[in-house]
Amino acid sequence: MKALIMTFALAASLLAQEVIELKQPNSSKVIIKLQFRNGSVADPAGKEGLTAATVGLLTQGGTKEMTYSQIQETLYPWAAGYYGSVDKEVTTLTFMVHRDFLEQFYPIMTGLLLTPAFAENDFQRVMKNQQNYVDQVIRASSDEEYSKKALEDLLFRGTNYQHMVQGKSASVKSITLDDIKAHYAAVFTRTNLLVGIAGNYSPAFLTKLKADLATLPAARYAPPKPGAARMPDGVEVEIVAKDGAFGSAIFTGTPLAVTRSAKDFAALMVANSYLGEHRKSYGQLYQKIRETRSMNYGDYSYIEWYSNGGGNMLPPSGVPRASNYFALWIRPVQIAEQLRKQYEELSSVPIGHAHFALRMAVREVDDIIRNGLTKEEFEATRAFLRSYMKLYVQTPNEQLGYLMDSRFYGRKDFIREADALLAKLTVKDVNAAVKKYWRTDRMFVTIVTSTSEADALAKSLRENAPSPMAYSNAVKAGLPKPVLEEDDAVAVYPLNVKKVTVVPSAETFK
Amino acid sequence: MKQLIRFLVLCLVTGASAVTAADKILPYPIHQKQMANGLNVVTVQFDSPGLAAFYIVVRVGSRNEVEQGVTGFAHFFEHMMFRGTERYPRDKYNDVLKSIGAGANANTSLDRTIYHMTGDATKLETMFDLEADRFQNLRYSEHDFKTEAGAVKGEYTKNFASPYQQSYENLMNTAFDVHTYKHTTMGFFKDIVDMPNQYTYSLEFFDRYYRPEYTTVVVVGDVTPQRVNALAEKYFGSWKHGTYVSVVPPEPKQDSARSTHLSDGSIPPYLSLNYKGPAFSDNDIDMPALDVLTTILFSPTSELYKKLVIREQKVRQLSGGASDTRDPNLISVSASLVKKEDLQYVKDEIVKAVEAFKTSGADEAMLAKTKSRLKYSFAMGIDNPSTIANSLCAYITLTGDPESLNRLYAMYDTVTNDDLKRIAAKYFVPSGLTIATISADAKGGVQ
Repeated sequence: MKALIMTFALAASLLAQEVIELKQPNSSKVIIKLQFRNGSVADPAGKEGLTAATVGLLTQGGTKEMTYSQIQETLYPWAAGYYGSVDKEVTTLTFMVHRDFLEQFYPIMTGLLLTPAFAENDFQRVMKNQQNYVDQVIRASSDEEYSKKALEDLLFRGTNYQHMVQGKSASVKSITLDDIKAHYAAVFTRTNLLVGIAGNYSPAFLTKLKADLATLPAARYAPPKPGAARMPDGVEVEIVAKDGAFGSAIFTGTPLAVTRSAKDFAALMVANSYLGEHRKSYGQLYQKIRETRSMNYGDYSYIEWYSNGGGNMLPPSGVPRASNYFALWIRPVQIAEQLRKQYEELSSVPIGHAHFALRMAVREVDDIIRNGLTKEEFEATRAFLRSYMKLYVQTPNEQLGYLMDSRFYGRKDFIREADALLAKLTVKDVNAAVKKYWRTDRMFVTIVTSTSEADALAKSLRENAPSPMAYSNAVKAGLPKPVLEEDDAVAVYPLNVKKVTVVPSAETFK
Repeated sequence: MKQLIRFLVLCLVTGASAVTAADKILPYPIHQKQMANGLNVVTVQFDSPGLAAFYIVVRVGSRNEVEQGVTGFAHFFEHMMFRGTERYPRDKYNDVLKSIGAGANANTSLDRTIYHMTGDATKLETMFDLEADRFQNLRYSEHDFKTEAGAVKGEYTKNFASPYQQSYENLMNTAFDVHTYKHTTMGFFKDIVDMPNQYTYSLEFFDRYYRPEYTTVVVVGDVTPQRVNALAEKYFGSWKHGTYVSVVPPEPKQDSARSTHLSDGSIPPYLSLNYKGPAFSDNDIDMPALDVLTTILFSPTSELYKKLVIREQKVRQLSGGASDTRDPNLISVSASLVKKEDLQYVKDEIVKAVEAFKTSGADEAMLAKTKSRLKYSFAMGIDNPSTIANSLCAYITLTGDPESLNRLYAMYDTVTNDDLKRIAAKYFVPSGLTIATISADAKGGVQ
């Protein structure tokens, strides 16, 4: 009887649980998001990648009632869809359906979540792809994404934030179907769930959804404390040597003590936007490295994790994190081997552009730390952000996602609240925040580059050797004097390099 | 009635047309106004309070790169469009763009170049001012030109990290002999390295293509067609019509199967079968029928997918579709495999499924479901101004007319099983096939 009362009490507590609602009576569809506080930090040691495997099987497997193929066949004419995304601290399951099919879709959705089949053949298929991701895809598809993941591996080494969400080669191999079943029961509970719903649905539908979700396991689950980024002794560089790489892809990272939760975050948003707004030409890094010197495709900075920067133009929701770092992204620059081939006048260059580009980026950050933004720069950047941020939530999916992420940070509506914080900011606040939180003397750097470049680049970095910019004659001839003078200063700009290692590509993520 | 009369009067005054949206896949009227200089202006009102998407599509892409040595130029030119004018030099352009807080960028593909801004609808006039100025008065120095070429090389450098990109480049070069689809939009690398030496050609390129007859302005969101048309007249009214007519050499009929192989063991073995297909058309049934056919044959509900991916698990991913382009392009079926030893088997299974389809066609219920899927897929996506503007631009690219979107979806309804069987037999022929493979082996070896 006592147990029954307790069950009712727990069910009632979930029924009373806040649901993030975004009612859109004119919309033609309904979006449901279920966000669980678990993420890859919930992976047990030795089973890294288990949360991703569990979500892979939930979203690419069958239910007790239907096989995976039967589900696909049923959804096919409706073009209804669902997907799961796992980040370090949360998992988000998203379901989208046209309102014409909401009632028919609903039992499939609840089946996927509440009564998954966990079939052996689905398991084999899902794991094969996850294994392939950690063994091959991450190394072979995009050197930029590779350098970013390698940076996190270095920055968070020894913590539960170190491993890729998909896990490591050995750990993925060790995951069994029983591991997945146990993990599902333990970390996908009603106690760590946040529900979001957007679009055209009835109150009765929501009541039913809440009641059904209340049947998830009641055992309390709280994810482990997220690992913090390490503070290196100086500048620590890891060069990943990869056969056949065409350029040098660079990422840097240094611990950052604040997240969207903090008031100071708004000040850093302005400084960051000024320094290197993602995929925008306004940033100082972009202006100096790409626009003036045409060294690569773009250069940006980040004060929080930005998922799939190569594909996304605007920051996606679903990746809230408590452990944070300040990062610079220098897109692939030329390596010596290529420069020698392309230009006769560069036939004897010892290294490519990576050392120079890194120096230039660090120098720009140092300049902002030292001198801050002017009032005009501050005003222009703040005005930009106050308008631009509204674009983050153009779609109902992102509106809902952002509202849900807001809760992670103890906020109600981050976009609205950040706007209010921005409105109150002064240039003094921004410059003080930069001085307080940013640094370049202690940071990690990862460079994915060609095997032909790695040792010479390592030597140059280790010795803090001058790294003059190697222009083709065609470009050099027209460069104004101030640019060439700045180049001279950049070429010898000191970096506090304390350690440089060269790691063959096959040895990464071990 | 009064309202209707007012509407009709307005149409007469502005010379605009608004086609009603009843029963169309896009549930909003598409307002179009053809200006005297040839510029087409398209407006769609959408419930996005305070937000507007402002897109400009120029019907020039790598397809137009007919001269030797200048492949990749349409894309390169897209970069140059950000280098400023006399009135808005580069820095000032950036400052003004930043001040309107819009998400702005551009991209180029085979048949078109798109410039876009999404942002505060009250800043629409500034958007028009900025864009009309650079489209008519672009000015850059030879040094700026040479410098920008490095950024394009940087873009190629980042893309080259993907073996799939390398394979795609090889595929197009193998499948086409004469037509400009032979090179990718990025261009051949040797031409990219040589770009700094093509300043004079760049001026010619601008003069040819950045003209009103090649261009359509598309505005979607919290706007009215009256306002958009008035701004278009004000800012683009004096833009001069050009004279250049682009002639792209047609590709001769392919008479035997071809293949290309990339030896690379760093990714899973990969197979793509590419058949010569038709150009896009919104009045010929072939392309709509091919969309239906490839959805039936290669989606996760297909028998082939269930066999290769779900049951046998020899294939990780399978997909297929025809390219919507102005000139005939490829119908591609791609598979990512588990083992390279299965490349021939997977190829044979795909061909077997296609051959069987030529005689048996599709199950009628599946045909109906596929038509439903195509429609609901579109309907589910159009929830913001940028997506709608992008969709309109895709069809403006293909035919010059955004209504092609509505016509295409109406045609899906008319596709019959006989159409499917006929086009399967017409296009999936061995002599029109180009096979692209990636594996650790020195040769592809797929017959």
